[in-house]
Amino acid sequence: MINAYILLSMKPGKSDTAILKMRKIENVEKISIVAGDYDIVVRVHVKSLEKLLIVTDKLQMIEGVRKTTTQVIEKEIAL
Amino acid sequence: MRIRKRYLFYVLAFASTIIAAGVSSIDATINSLFIPNAWAFSFSCFLIGTGITFIILLIFSIPINKTKSLGAKIIDPSFNKIRFIRKSEIKYHTIAGLGNSILTIGYISLISILGDPAAVLPFTQIVILYLIIIESIIEKDTPTLIEIQSAIIVTFGAILGSISLTGDINLISLAIVFLIVNPAWVIFSIYQRKLKLLKIDDKPNDSLNIRFWNVIFACIFTSIIIITYDFLIGTEYLLEGISVSIKYFNWVALTMVVTFFSYVFYIRALGIGKASVTQAVRATVVIFVIPFSLLLSYFNIIPPFTTDPVMILIKIIGTILVLLGISTFALSLLKAYVFINVKPGYPIKETMDKLWNIHGVTRVTVIAGKYDFMIKIRIRTLMKGYEKIIKKIEEIESIKEYKWFSVLREWEEI
Repeated sequence: MINAYILLSMKPGKSDTAILKMRKIENVEKISIVAGDYDIVVRVHVKSLEKLLIVTDKLQMIEGVRKTTTQVIEKEIAL
Repeated sequence: MRIRKRYLFYVLAFASTIIAAGVSSIDATINSLFIPNAWAFSFSCFLIGTGITFIILLIFSIPINKTKSLGAKIIDPSFNKIRFIRKSEIKYHTIAGLGNSILTIGYISLISILGDPAAVLPFTQIVILYLIIIESIIEKDTPTLIEIQSAIIVTFGAILGSISLTGDINLISLAIVFLIVNPAWVIFSIYQRKLKLLKIDDKPNDSLNIRFWNVIFACIFTSIIIITYDFLIGTEYLLEGISVSIKYFNWVALTMVVTFFSYVFYIRALGIGKASVTQAVRATVVIFVIPFSLLLSYFNIIPPFTTDPVMILIKIIGTILVLLGISTFALSLLKAYVFINVKPGYPIKETMDKLWNIHGVTRVTVIAGKYDFMIKIRIRTLMKGYEKIIKKIEEIESIKEYKWFSVLREWEEI
């Protein structure tokens, strides 16, 4: 299984409708609106890199998404 | 039946809470009608509980297809079958077992003194006060205003909510609450969570085996405590415990079966959702137990409720304060992501461990892409974020630069 964070930059005023669409995408585990260089951080959980591409593609097709940066998780410790 | 995970979490947490309220009422009934001796009752619970839990686990170990057992299908997907304790679990089970043993003796003593489960359960919520004190001592961490407020609200709420049916406040019961039940509950819950987070054969530890081994360890510790007490005081509570276990087997077995499901659902909920939210849901037990207490009172198992409107008002205020305090504590958390770039020439594992050791860091992720690390943070105030996180990150030599992203809103598929 592959986990990844996808960092999104958004066009102003489009976040609410975009998030509604993101929540419907399969394999999206978590969506966080953040304050900083990016606007939204999405965590995805997919079976393969091919599936990751599909999720990334779906995300960048959403109206309002300006740019995506994908960070694939190599190792993790969590509570 | 398929159920979405988000709803499953709430179903499990509320089911566990309602069952816990029911268990208290059964315990109060047994204590009032059959086994008034708290020591004998506690020992009987673990003695019969060990056997009952073993039988339940055997039933849940029955395979229903090539890969899944009955327990995995209906209770916990991580469960395969009943198994021996692993070496890595022994330390945690020893401490959690001791905690559960002391907690149970204290809790049944409270039931024995107060009678009314609606008076006992608010007291167990004071655990929040102890968690904050322990954090302050161990982590050298000054509690935030909101933590102090929540702890005070819950403590006073619990004291008001626990005013007995007759309007009395019992000093012995207060001593048991503050010195025995809540400290033991802290130890029990911390180590139970540590056990749930352990990986067994590269799979998450299952709640059914955790419960089974906890009951065994608690039984051993309860026996030791009661034997010591008998030896020092000259009582025969251990023998009395064995005697009542035979005489009232059905009643104690009933309470232990119901307790089993309450705990298993609770541990499962802890594994799905956040501990703080689970704790907030569990706090509603102070409301769910009221109808049970009314029922016990109606059947004259416990003394009748006071009809004094002032006392009723005080009890309602106490119950509301407990709920408010726990919810504020559980839900007033700030979250942030910090994306980090490291300098070349430093081992990744070393930096990862240093980041993980920072208090408030709940997740450390090594990532491939623009950044090298992502850490997730949970804190109470932004000031603490600076004092406890940023300062520590800046102390790590291998870190080149970092970017802080405060989470404003979040959706999670739990």
